Amino acid sequence: MFLLVEVLLWLAVPGLPGVLTALATAMLLGGFVALIIAGLWGVGKIIVRAALNYFSAKQRIQRRLWFALAKQDQAKRLFYFKTRQLKYFNELSRKRLLKLNNRKHIRVLSKAIDKELLSIKTKLPGTTYQQLQQDHARYRNRQDIEALLTLQQKISTLV
Amino acid sequence: MTILNKIIKLFHSVKDENLKWHLANQGDQAKLNHARVLAEKALEAELKKKSVQLEHDISLLKTKHDAELSMFKTKCRQDVKDYKQYLAALDQLKSSIQASYPHLPEAVAFTIHHHAKYLLNEMWEEEDFEQKMQHEMQLIRFMTTVHEDARLHLEGATIESLPERTLNLIGRE
Repeated sequence: MFLLVEVLLWLAVPGLPGVLTALATAMLLGGFVALIIAGLWGVGKIIVRAALNYFSAKQRIQRRLWFALAKQDQAKRLFYFKTRQLKYFNELSRKRLLKLNNRKHIRVLSKAIDKELLSIKTKLPGTTYQQLQQDHARYRNRQDIEALLTLQQKISTLV
Repeated sequence: MTILNKIIKLFHSVKDENLKWHLANQGDQAKLNHARVLAEKALEAELKKKSVQLEHDISLLKTKHDAELSMFKTKCRQDVKDYKQYLAALDQLKSSIQASYPHLPEAVAFTIHHHAKYLLNEMWEEEDFEQKMQHEMQLIRFMTTVHEDARLHLEGATIESLPERTLNLIGRE
């Protein structure tokens, strides 16, 4: 229509282009308004349909079922982790007992080594004695059983 | 005007056809709608049933888990107690060999005790049942040998200053 107005203006027809321009503008605006209304209507319809579907009995039951499934899964996982936790604490208690026992016997062994070392003190050079004593203290603090036994063997061979 | 009439006629004929089609298929459509509603209802009922069943299963599962956990807890406590007793028995074993061999060096007594503890831990940490039994047999054999050595020395059946059979066993293992 705007093209027609251009042609009429070019042909220099009086009056008609003005009326046609107003008509075309009104039609264009009307078209836009109709388009917007149709769009809003469509969106509204979709929203209402989605809301109705969301709150429908089927969907509600389906959600409840999913919730129950998740709860079941959670219960299973909880059981697994509780079992793991119990196993872990059980192992920790056992290790603690073992450590205490090891410490007790290492103390006895250490005393024996001390005694043996003291008995040969006069037969050893001062530096060797001191070195052995230092080694002994270090191994005892480290709770190193193998090293303590090796040290004991070494002291026995020195005598 | 004739073209406009023709268009209107065409429009009416299309509407007529549409109406006729609707009339002809009204029954089928009603049936279809009915079937759809029924199917939806059936599905809803099925889901509801499943949901209720699942809730029931979950409560059963929770009860089962609680019972199993409580049993497991008791088993763990017993395990630690058993381990403590084993350690006490091994301490006793050391005392017994030291009592039988008064001049036994502390390092030898310690080695015997330490080896027994190593066997005990091997047994305790093994997951496979058969292997666990084998380790247990090994520990029992070792403890028997130590006690046997102690007994023989106490009775004066051997004159060795060290429990040789035990030390040989440690060397072999």
